[in-house]
Amino acid sequence: MKPDDPNLKRVEPPKLTLLEKTYLPQILGGLAVTGRHILGSAIGGKAVTVQYPEEQHVPTANYRGVHRLNKDEQGRVKCVACMLCATACPAHCIDIVGATAPEDWPDREKYPESFVIDELRCIYCGMCEEACPVDAIELTGLYDITGLSREELIYDKAKLLSVFDMTKDAEPMKTGNPPASLPVPTSPLDPEGPGPRTTVPAAQLPSRS
Amino acid sequence: MATIIINGTEYTLPEGERLNAIQAAQRFGVEIPYYCWHPALSVVANCRMCEIQVGSKDPKTGEIKMIPKMVPGCQTPAKDGTVIVTDSPEVRSHQAMIMEYLLINHPLDCPVCDQAGQCGLQDYSYRHGQAIHRFVEERTVNPRKDVSDQIQLNMDRCIMCTRCVRFCREITRTNELQVERRGNHAEITIFPDRPLDNPMAGNVVDLCPVGALLDKDFLHKQRYWFNDQHSSVCTRCSTGCNIVAEENRGQIWRLRARYNPKVNDYWICDEGRSSYKSANDANLLPAMYLREGGQPREAPVDRALDTARTRLKEIARQGGTIAAVISPFLTVEEAYLLASYIKGLSGEAVLALGPVPVVGEDQTFAPDQRQGRTGDTSFVVPRPFTIRAEKCPNRNGVERILKHFQGEVIPIDRLRERAASTPFDALYITGGGHEPAYEGQEWTKLRDGAKFLVVQDVWPTDLAGTADVILSSATFAEKAGCYVNATGRLQYASAALPPRDGSLPDLDILAILAERPGGGPISSRDVLSELAGQVPAFAAVRSLDGPFPEFGLPLDGSEEPTPGMFRYVDPWHAPRGRVSLAT
Repeated sequence: MKPDDPNLKRVEPPKLTLLEKTYLPQILGGLAVTGRHILGSAIGGKAVTVQYPEEQHVPTANYRGVHRLNKDEQGRVKCVACMLCATACPAHCIDIVGATAPEDWPDREKYPESFVIDELRCIYCGMCEEACPVDAIELTGLYDITGLSREELIYDKAKLLSVFDMTKDAEPMKTGNPPASLPVPTSPLDPEGPGPRTTVPAAQLPSRS
Repeated sequence: MATIIINGTEYTLPEGERLNAIQAAQRFGVEIPYYCWHPALSVVANCRMCEIQVGSKDPKTGEIKMIPKMVPGCQTPAKDGTVIVTDSPEVRSHQAMIMEYLLINHPLDCPVCDQAGQCGLQDYSYRHGQAIHRFVEERTVNPRKDVSDQIQLNMDRCIMCTRCVRFCREITRTNELQVERRGNHAEITIFPDRPLDNPMAGNVVDLCPVGALLDKDFLHKQRYWFNDQHSSVCTRCSTGCNIVAEENRGQIWRLRARYNPKVNDYWICDEGRSSYKSANDANLLPAMYLREGGQPREAPVDRALDTARTRLKEIARQGGTIAAVISPFLTVEEAYLLASYIKGLSGEAVLALGPVPVVGEDQTFAPDQRQGRTGDTSFVVPRPFTIRAEKCPNRNGVERILKHFQGEVIPIDRLRERAASTPFDALYITGGGHEPAYEGQEWTKLRDGAKFLVVQDVWPTDLAGTADVILSSATFAEKAGCYVNATGRLQYASAALPPRDGSLPDLDILAILAERPGGGPISSRDVLSELAGQVPAFAAVRSLDGPFPEFGLPLDGSEEPTPGMFRYVDPWHAPRGRVSLAT
């Protein structure tokens, strides 16, 4: 559209009155809001901050924290390795190696042989969750991930599945929840967590840097 | 001179070509969607996607008479006075109808389908289809099956365009595939115990407009849109088929055919298709080596190159005899640099052609315009396809360079005989093929008597184990340059991969050894123009200006643009679903 387009309607800002020109009503209005918050948290018991870590903050249901890989009714990873999450990811933090599904999975053609998310590179935008056609990847309410090295925070398939086991009761899946009988690990960093593991080593290729 | 009217605009078609409405419209940038039509196959008009409104203009009165029903565009010849309408509401609603019908039984499993991203059904569904599915019955479930060890058929994705069936009947004429049963129950099958195993079978995967026929080699490994597409030339035999190399994360994932009417038409052979594996091999030389204390030891690139350069110079200065073996896997630029470098060291130096692998005999598939075909074949231009026994890309080019530098071509056997009687002081041996070439005692004997041996190769071979300097060079995928195919056509192949760690492309190695002025990376085009100026056999390159010709450059004799010399790519394989035509 050009500046001289006949469809353009020019809107003039409203004229300020003398009182408005002093800006005093707006300043006083703002101070009133601040005062309400100060008084609310000081004597009204409406403080937003908590004494972490003694007190744990519980995020809202739509909080975007650590990812999890959901399992289906048979405890298999729900992911079909379509790589749409990796395609949607703006931070390029998801790495998937797809493989043909085992013979005894008649309903599936493809599954992820390896599924790795770099939790440090991730910007927690939730696009992967949005892109997933089978609701296999979800962001949980876990926000306090820590590690002693960067490698520890590169989550592989086993870790992401164990996050699911940890959080599935508190945060049920949107569709198709599995039975509650699966064992629950205590930490996503627990290397002995349940779930299928990658058995195939990374492809031995000539390195190109 | 034929004038056709497409959507109310008059266009003039050049003489000498018999085109159908799809091709004619494509020339002028109007796309008529289609699935079953392919320029190399007979017209069967069974997908009905290309149906358009057709009429004719009376040349005397100028009156336009339309055919009262819609006609398949693939079957409509673009003659003088043909009127084509592709954008009327009738045509649009017909296309939407066909799309809805084709998708009735389609599983819509695009997320796990390897064709997604280059799928005709996806593209046209987006453009001509609708988002709702009115069919409430159960979809027919048709399990996946194998039509050969290499190819999988997901029958429920098939739209029965029969391109694959026609390919096997008309191009390879091996008749492995056929349609079984009819209507909703129709299926593509093979005969029991007669798998689809002809040497060109992999082309049915490229031909399939949907994800029904899939290469098991590539199956579920990568998504199409992650791969970078590089125009390259197949180096598996001396035909020099034009290919697209798909690269991602430092690895080649597959090779696909690229149209060249003068070389490979629309096809490549299965051997060429699987030749990408050698570029991903874990055994490729990981570094350069220098012989120290009787053992090859890993050395930095600059030290290895320095040693080779100074020792070769020293031997040349002392009047020693030098011989170089120029592998037929080198590009013409590399062969030229190597020959001029060695001849520059010593005028007496001997240049030999490296081992030329020959396996079996040439195999030609010569489709006929009429024979073995069904339906309308008048638009088909049959072209033969040859798989050659000579399994190297550039014997022709290297021989031309050798003839220029020393007047004759010395085969490797003659060099070995000569080396056995009077050993050379220094030997410079190049390799770079798909398989290790210098294995066994007959090669290690070359070492005897030679004071200094340089091996420039990609494989750790027996001969390389005895060398003083091992220069780790580039595989076919890691270097850019030109090859001369068996018919004398110069073709440019671009690099698909970066060099491996510890290696350098052959052209750079040779430029450093020859101490070319300027320094820095060297461009193959600069070397090619230099070579064209010096070697008369490459005189045709001198007139080259601007980008390298898409279909290559014939070195002997000139070439008039002939009918069909337009880039062809199925719309769903074209970048971003758009076909751009070479002008």
